[in-house]
Amino acid sequence: MKGVNFPIQAKIFISYLAIVICLGISLFIVNGQMKNLQAEIDVISNHDMAVHELANQIQKNMLDMETGMRGFMITGDEQYLEPYQISSRSWQDNYNRLYALLKDNPDQQQALEQMRPLILSWIANTGEFVIQNKRENNETALQQYFAQNTGKNAMDDIRSQMSSLVAKEKNLTADRVAKLNQSNENVLYIWYVIAGGVTLISFAMSLFLSSSIVRTIRQVVRTIKDISKSDTGVDLSARIHVQSKDELRDLAEATNDLLSSLEKQSWIQRSLTEISTLYQGITDIGDLSKAVITVLAPKLQAAYGIVYLRKNAGNETVFVRVADYALAHQNTTDTFRVGEGLVGQCALDRRIFLFDNLPEDYLKVTSGLGEAVPRNLVVAPITVEGRVEAVIEFASFQPFEASHLTLLDLLQDKFGQAILNVLGRMEVERLLSESQVMTEELQTQSEELQTQSEELQMQQEQLRITNEFLEEQNLFAEQRATELKKTRDELADYARKLQASSQYKTDFLANMSHELRTPLNSILILSQMLMENHQGEGEEKEVEEYSRVIFRAGQDLLRLIDDILDLSKIEAGKIEILTDEVNVSEIPQSMQSMFEPIAAKKQLAFGVEMHPDTPSVLLTDGQRLHQILKNLLSNACKFTEKGSVTLRIEPAHPDRVRELLPQLQEEQVLSFSVIDTGIGIPCDKQEIIFDAFQQVDGTTNRQYGGTGLGLSICREFTRLLGGALSVESEPEKGSTFTLYIPNRTERQAQQQAAEQTAAEEVAAGGSQLLEEIESEKDLVVHIADSVPLHEQLFQGKHVLLVDDDARNVYALVTALERKGVRVEVAENGKQAVDLLLEDRSYDLVLMDIMMPIMDGYQAMKAIREDLGMTDMPIIALTAKAMKNEREKCMEAGASDYIMKPLNIDQLFSLMRVWLTK
Amino acid sequence: MDISIIEASEEVYADRESFADDERQQIEINLLLEGIYQMYGYDFRGYVRSSLRRRILNRMKAERLPTITALLEKVLHEEGVLERLLNDLSIRMTEMFRDPSFFAAFRKQVVPLLRGLPEIRIWHAGCATGEEVYSMAILMHEEGLDEKTRIYGTDMNEKAIAAAKKGAFALKQMQQYTKNYLEAGGSKAFSEYYTTDHQYAYFHPDLGENMMFAQHNLVTDGSFNEFHVILCRNVLIYFDQDLQQHVHRLMHNSLSDGGFLGLGSKESILFAPDRVYYEDFIPQEKVYRKQAVQK
Repeated sequence: MKGVNFPIQAKIFISYLAIVICLGISLFIVNGQMKNLQAEIDVISNHDMAVHELANQIQKNMLDMETGMRGFMITGDEQYLEPYQISSRSWQDNYNRLYALLKDNPDQQQALEQMRPLILSWIANTGEFVIQNKRENNETALQQYFAQNTGKNAMDDIRSQMSSLVAKEKNLTADRVAKLNQSNENVLYIWYVIAGGVTLISFAMSLFLSSSIVRTIRQVVRTIKDISKSDTGVDLSARIHVQSKDELRDLAEATNDLLSSLEKQSWIQRSLTEISTLYQGITDIGDLSKAVITVLAPKLQAAYGIVYLRKNAGNETVFVRVADYALAHQNTTDTFRVGEGLVGQCALDRRIFLFDNLPEDYLKVTSGLGEAVPRNLVVAPITVEGRVEAVIEFASFQPFEASHLTLLDLLQDKFGQAILNVLGRMEVERLLSESQVMTEELQTQSEELQTQSEELQMQQEQLRITNEFLEEQNLFAEQRATELKKTRDELADYARKLQASSQYKTDFLANMSHELRTPLNSILILSQMLMENHQGEGEEKEVEEYSRVIFRAGQDLLRLIDDILDLSKIEAGKIEILTDEVNVSEIPQSMQSMFEPIAAKKQLAFGVEMHPDTPSVLLTDGQRLHQILKNLLSNACKFTEKGSVTLRIEPAHPDRVRELLPQLQEEQVLSFSVIDTGIGIPCDKQEIIFDAFQQVDGTTNRQYGGTGLGLSICREFTRLLGGALSVESEPEKGSTFTLYIPNRTERQAQQQAAEQTAAEEVAAGGSQLLEEIESEKDLVVHIADSVPLHEQLFQGKHVLLVDDDARNVYALVTALERKGVRVEVAENGKQAVDLLLEDRSYDLVLMDIMMPIMDGYQAMKAIREDLGMTDMPIIALTAKAMKNEREKCMEAGASDYIMKPLNIDQLFSLMRVWLTK
Repeated sequence: MDISIIEASEEVYADRESFADDERQQIEINLLLEGIYQMYGYDFRGYVRSSLRRRILNRMKAERLPTITALLEKVLHEEGVLERLLNDLSIRMTEMFRDPSFFAAFRKQVVPLLRGLPEIRIWHAGCATGEEVYSMAILMHEEGLDEKTRIYGTDMNEKAIAAAKKGAFALKQMQQYTKNYLEAGGSKAFSEYYTTDHQYAYFHPDLGENMMFAQHNLVTDGSFNEFHVILCRNVLIYFDQDLQQHVHRLMHNSLSDGGFLGLGSKESILFAPDRVYYEDFIPQEKVYRKQAVQK
């Protein structure tokens, strides 16, 4: 039946037709049988009856003839011959008819034929003979004849033959009737068979038909039941399979169509639900996007996907890539403005863009094994409340189906809502955590307060007990107190001594660190900024400016380090003194050639006076001597604004020699005096100027630059040469430095070796400092990466920076502004106080100490006392980090301090502490 | 002096009933402390009751229990309750360079005497969250003694010890700590010792190199080393006299000859059984020195 449309209607029609045909055939058969039966009956009713009739007729004819003959013979009346005449004419006729009737039965015909001669003979020998003889009255012949009685015997033969024939015929008829009965039964039997057969066929047909219809219907019903009873609720992926080609198939196909439509619908619903469930528990918008695209991409059979999220960058709305799926790092763009590219256009038009047949080079999806080009692209907006919140983009190898697009369309609302929810949740969580933190803080605070009060209570209790105890032992305690005081005094005394003994080293370190840190500070900050300047925003001008400042600071540092090295070499005893004959008479000329131009530049008179008694040759280290003189002369030039600078060379006065170099009475000593008319040195400072880093104006707002190492080096060289250096000076009038140099002998050289040991201790301090500088450099290099969260504290904070050094200001302002701090700059303390007077809203003050006009100490005092701003955090930026500096800062009211060179991370760490409210 | 009498004198009872209530509560507290001791070995029986009572009642309310007896039942049968209670019972106030004058005096007067030692062992008994341990480490670092100094911080509160190991302190306290540091005579910038984020200041791990934190119960645990300095500040005030004497004995046994004992500003050596062996070293800062035993 395959391939042929065979509807149920046809099936039913055919089966009914078959039944009707069967019935017809059976009717036909039965009818034939009935006809046969009828024929038999006809035979019996016509033929047999006729035969019997005729046989009887013949018998009757014979009887009539016999009777007629006998009547005539007795009576001789002709009247009695009438029946004889009639019968002798008609028997022949009857005989022929009977013969004709018996032609189907030769035996009977033969029997009949045998009777004919008998009859004929009787007629001839008996009838006619008798009649003849009567007429002739031949009684004798008659007598004789009857005596013989032949006629009667013939008649009896005929009669017996006839009756045997009739008996035979009767038997035949009886046979036929029996046969008819048999046929009748047969017909009935056949009828039963046919009726049974037709019933069976009809039954079989109906069974087949109904089963074929019902089976298909059951199959459909079962499938539908299966679908609805499936474990997973409704299994829409199942399909009804029908073998037949009928209305049920149409029904199944229609159902299948419905199922596939439902399946698509359900797929979309399921996908939506699945994606909706993703939102739960996700609190980060990036995670959400990632989760959604990870689920969505396989559903759309996409080979890659991207989610762009709306972000406000300034006044502009841009779409920023937040999540992607299977995306290799190709030339994908991270952000789109509205209307820019397909993504931007999609956001603008708020409709789904679908592209087929992308060009070969549009995009490649790569895996470890190779790469391929997706040919289909879809870009869909996610619109919520009329605003495009996100744009999603997918590329696929297969074309996107309608259901995919429907899903994307339906997703808009859900995903968009989820984005809003998550954003809202993020905001809520942020607020919640803030409030939680605050609550926790409050709880902690109250707990702390409680604990504090409790502890106070405990302490009071303890104190009371102690006091009671003390009262009992008052006397004992008093006695102890006295002893204690004694001990304490002793201890304090000891501590003072200890302090004094380390003073020199401490001061040296303090001073040197200040001098080193100032230039290092700007070098480090600027170079750090150069280092961090990776975002390409550094303009060349800026880089150039940084480099220039670094270069200048580096030069300062180099000069300083040269000086320190000289000094530390001397103190470590590493400078060798090469005693040689020095031609004294050459000194004036060399000094003049060197310093006359410098003096002329400052419009100073420069002269060299040489005493006539001066020996022309001196045994000493000429190079060092020159170095000392150069130092002294350049100092004199530096500190003299007008007047003159004079170098005088003469044999030393014996009294001075005895006073300064008691061990050198006999030697010849030369004195070199450098006389200037400069600013002079007050009496109390005349001793310290020889200390490293000291100038007369050691305070913080000094006017003259320089390392302050020159005189220290001079003194150390002098000592190495076995000489002495003295100074006489009066402020504002001028100074005279006098250098006493002896003729160097072997004895002196030995003496000096002993002194070297003492010098090494100081040198150790110097090298330690250098190490310290090294380690700080390391610190600067290891700058921790800042995390945005850390910078929250800085955002929008208002900081006042007070510093006069343009390099430092430049470096600090740049660094702070990068953190989002608003920086105001004051060049000195006065300006800072004025600014704070106008605007008290600053969050923090960074205060340099060394500044002209009003230094940091004065400024801090003014802020605390005059302005009454006791709570304003003031961070002192100190170059020297030693005790005095620290105490002076604290005394002036600094909240904290930090040392130069500034480690920028340390500064930020510290600022976080003081910006925390 | 009997503590219950002090207690009784602190509050005026309106009638007998409340007195009976109070007595019942005292019994319950005794039972609770006894139960904790017998079951777990933490001994609070010698703690001053007024402070214990408040903390136990706090915990009782936090666990939503009607009576202290119910709390005892929970402590004995339910996991985690004991921990929470212990945490409550052992909270103490602490800050960096607390009582700056103590640290200033320590630096000026004690440190010079430690300088000569080949190794310096310092024990902070009851260090809580470790603020004083870090303070001491900074002080010793500035005195250049950090390399030969070992600082042991112990507390019975496990949580506190865990916090101490981190060395992270809340940013908002840092201003006070800075002030203390400066007043305590810090010789550098305090900011050299920490880095910060938006919440905490993290002290440099270098400081922790010579620090060891461990759980130790002054009441039940014994001596574990010999120390040159023992600081036990504002711990003893929570103990009754018997317990104070016990702890004093423990500290005396753990102190080397010539070693220093530092107590809280309101505490004193007067109740120590071995007080005759101590010399008042800096009396106003409660620093005592153990004298070498004359034999």
